[in-house]
Amino acid sequence: MRKKMIIVVCLLTLGCPLCFAKPICPLGGPVTQPRKVSSLDQFGAIAILSDGRVKPVDTYARTLLLQLSGKTSLNKESAVAWLARLLFAPATTFNDKVFIINNPETAFALGVTPDPKRRYSFTQLRTGFAKLAELARLADKIDAKKRSAVEEEVIRVYHNCLLYDRHTRVFYFALPSAEFQIADTDIVKALDLPPQQTLFSFYDLASRADLLRQQTKSLELNRPEDWSFKEKELFRLMNNLYHWSISYRDLPFQIIPAPLAFSEQWLSPMDAISRAFADPQVREEIALVRTMVVSYWNGEEMLFDFAIRSFSNSIINRVAGAMRRNISTIPFELFYNQANLFGWARVLYAMALGIFLFSFLAARQKRLRPVALALIVAGLFYHVVAIALRIIIMGRPPVSNLYETFIFVGMVTVLAGITIELVNRRWVGISVAGVCGFVFLTIAGKFAAEGDTLRMLVAVLNSNFWLGTHVLSITAGYSGVCVAGLVGHLYILQCIRYPKDKIALKSTYHNMIGALGFGLIMSFLGTTLGGIWADQSWGRFWGWDPKENGALLIILWCAIIFHARIGRFIGPLGVAVGSVLGIVVVMWAWFGVNLLSVGLHSYGFTSGVATGLMMYVAGEVLFLTIGVSIARRNNIKLSQS
Amino acid sequence: MMMTTIHKRLQRNPAIKFCASLKITLTCLTLLFILTFWGTIDQVYNGLYLSQERFFHSFFFTFAGFIPFPGTQLVLWVLFINLICVALVRFVYAWDHLGITIIHAGLLLFFVAAYITFHNTKESQLTLMEKEGSNVSSAYHDWEVALWKEDGGVKDVYAYDTRGLRSGEKLDFSDYDLELTVNHYYPHSEAYSGGTGGILNASGIQALQPAPRQQAPEKNFPGLVATLAGLGPVLLYGGEDKPLKITHQSQDYFLQLRRKHSPMPFLLRLKDFKVEWHPHTQVARSYQSLVDVIVPDGSLQGPLGPFRLSGSREVLISMNKPLRYKDFTLYQASYAIDQWGRESSTLAVVKNSGRLLPYLASFTTVIGLVLHFLLMVFKAKLKH
Repeated sequence: MRKKMIIVVCLLTLGCPLCFAKPICPLGGPVTQPRKVSSLDQFGAIAILSDGRVKPVDTYARTLLLQLSGKTSLNKESAVAWLARLLFAPATTFNDKVFIINNPETAFALGVTPDPKRRYSFTQLRTGFAKLAELARLADKIDAKKRSAVEEEVIRVYHNCLLYDRHTRVFYFALPSAEFQIADTDIVKALDLPPQQTLFSFYDLASRADLLRQQTKSLELNRPEDWSFKEKELFRLMNNLYHWSISYRDLPFQIIPAPLAFSEQWLSPMDAISRAFADPQVREEIALVRTMVVSYWNGEEMLFDFAIRSFSNSIINRVAGAMRRNISTIPFELFYNQANLFGWARVLYAMALGIFLFSFLAARQKRLRPVALALIVAGLFYHVVAIALRIIIMGRPPVSNLYETFIFVGMVTVLAGITIELVNRRWVGISVAGVCGFVFLTIAGKFAAEGDTLRMLVAVLNSNFWLGTHVLSITAGYSGVCVAGLVGHLYILQCIRYPKDKIALKSTYHNMIGALGFGLIMSFLGTTLGGIWADQSWGRFWGWDPKENGALLIILWCAIIFHARIGRFIGPLGVAVGSVLGIVVVMWAWFGVNLLSVGLHSYGFTSGVATGLMMYVAGEVLFLTIGVSIARRNNIKLSQS
Repeated sequence: MMMTTIHKRLQRNPAIKFCASLKITLTCLTLLFILTFWGTIDQVYNGLYLSQERFFHSFFFTFAGFIPFPGTQLVLWVLFINLICVALVRFVYAWDHLGITIIHAGLLLFFVAAYITFHNTKESQLTLMEKEGSNVSSAYHDWEVALWKEDGGVKDVYAYDTRGLRSGEKLDFSDYDLELTVNHYYPHSEAYSGGTGGILNASGIQALQPAPRQQAPEKNFPGLVATLAGLGPVLLYGGEDKPLKITHQSQDYFLQLRRKHSPMPFLLRLKDFKVEWHPHTQVARSYQSLVDVIVPDGSLQGPLGPFRLSGSREVLISMNKPLRYKDFTLYQASYAIDQWGRESSTLAVVKNSGRLLPYLASFTTVIGLVLHFLLMVFKAKLKH
């Protein structure tokens, strides 16, 4: 019965998120047989080079909207749909409230009435943009460390406004403009333009630059005052073409690889016209982008999809090496984005935790345990799949930045929790897995709000071997000590609530010792592997760098607990207290030392977590003070001597 | 039988018994914990170099002006003695304690490795412009007073280490019939061009003032005022690029206070330096120095013997891929581009004869930890 329950819960929980995930639509399929998919799904699958890596437009859109508004969707509209509007029809986004201003003082300074939701539209900010530019210029002169919160916010909002504005211009080249209006039908005819049309785009004229040049040869022969109306018109068109190519250079949205085989640069469509229009393939790709713009406007979904597919195929055939490999992982990344596996894992961990808490009230709590365990297993499944997808997408081990340490530590702690539960069978493992999985994925979610979490590696980290050994073992060490600390919490709570249940106390104590031992071994292994890596990279095994010292502190702390235990200076309660404080040591080594902003591990620096860390330490001290005093009242001593 | 007798006799020895106390172990571990934490925080205010000197390389230091506190060196020595005594009298040498024994053997190896590395490692750096070669690296923090003459492009250099240099000390360059008497030596100094004049100096510096020690050791420049027998007072400052040229017995000599030079048993020539960036970012993907390694062969004279400038081999030095040659290891450390756009690469040069000891210690300790963990699990299973 119990086994059946586990299987049913697993199937239900595994199936649910897959229903929400959209099917993978691989790139590179035949152009002649476009699939019946939503046009914007195709658009989201276009490859784009951003932040040093090739990614799908879907990821780009999410990151951009996250940067501007702090959210990955806008009023139930997906990020990619919003980006499409921003690029193809910018004016439709002017009233979208996408600019988050966290500080009301900043909004007030810009002459905007502070909004309770803290989000403002481009129309609202446009009136105060001159003021914003002025304030940002002044704030920029101040040393970054000395800026106030308002000044920081002004700079951030200003850069976001510029970024937004630059995106609105990306596809201007394909839209008809008054600057390219041609009233003279002779010119229209000479340039081989549609005779019934008078309003043209930059692209229309740039693609007929040769014809235009032929027409303007006579300009050099005559003085400007002697030019005819037609010649003046031709000069105006040439002049406008030149000014556009200058004004709209270096725009974002780099979706066209530079034609030279050795170059890794990608260009925005406008830059591609200015710099690489002579290349026939680039010319063809720009024409396809233009078709996208036109068909988006005309609501021609089939044509839109066809243009995108042709465009993507052309890009795939043109790039080689790592870029090609990156493009081939785009379907995985689309699935990763859409399935939101970490989100589902977090929900399942929270549900398991909820069942654990509910079990205190339930009469038949033994029946609830397999359900909770199944939820944890299902959560772990999503957790592992998500990490595996990240490995496939990036082609490297899963931990290289602070965000990734949280998701990896979360996975190891859940795995440890399941192991404990299978041995202990007393809810200890479920509660550890539930709390750790939920908490670490929640913290990771906060870091994910900073932008794209799949980032490129700095030169010193560019070693899959050391990332796969040192970093994984050190983070596994963090996991072990965190699990020991959590079991330590449970031990103290058991001392308070069930002081006479010696079997349960002994079992929890053994789990705690096991987890602490695992933490010590992995921390030691990770630290020494780090020493060897440092010896390979920097020429010394040990350099007293803050991050190295942090790892040493964990080892020393574990060694102190074990030696104190062997010498009977502390008993099980003392070990529990030490294990709880071990989490504080891990927090310090993990991201506390990053707050110092000194040392060689600068790629891991972060800010803004100091308050959270201090509050956590204060909370633990309070818990230990109250918990230990009650436990001692229940005749459980800290020491054994 | 005999071993047991010795073991029992050692166990009865009160000094060894005291030194093997677990209380000492715990005290040392706790002190190490405090020192590591304190030394980490201190780096924010005083920088890595000064914090290392104060907390980790010292036997004692004072805080709040006068309160003494044991330094890491002292604590590690006490812990080392404690560990030896524990190994002599407390350890149970049985199969079920094999893991513990191996762990502590590995830790003892760590102590030996730390001692050898600390006392024998020589760290220096070598900066080369593209197409430039050298077989001499210069130290980060150590300085020397060097005197040389140039004869047909070959430098014959005599140098004195400035560590512990005191007023009144005589530096004897008897091969050149020259003697330098130290008047003042400042390990950290500032140079001034003002003064009464009359002091020989290559850059017009006429006075030195002792200066506070800077956080970054590379910003500290020593200064020396000395009397050169028969030639008068001279002033040497570490921040000078040019050496002081002196003429003695119709021969030109050069005198300079410079970062300590160390010859290498091979010549290195930088062929090309390359830095690669992740596209559209300011994040470097790799730094690479393509060098020619030219080993001694016989046709040219160098400081350590003859060299041949042909038959070289190419080596690509990059992050995580250093060049190893005997006890020397060269790492990619930094690079610079001058105002004319010429690239130079700086390589960290480390000479460490005990380089593999920490590897061995790490391996031993980890094996011990894993074995102990497995034995614990096995014993628990047996109990059940």
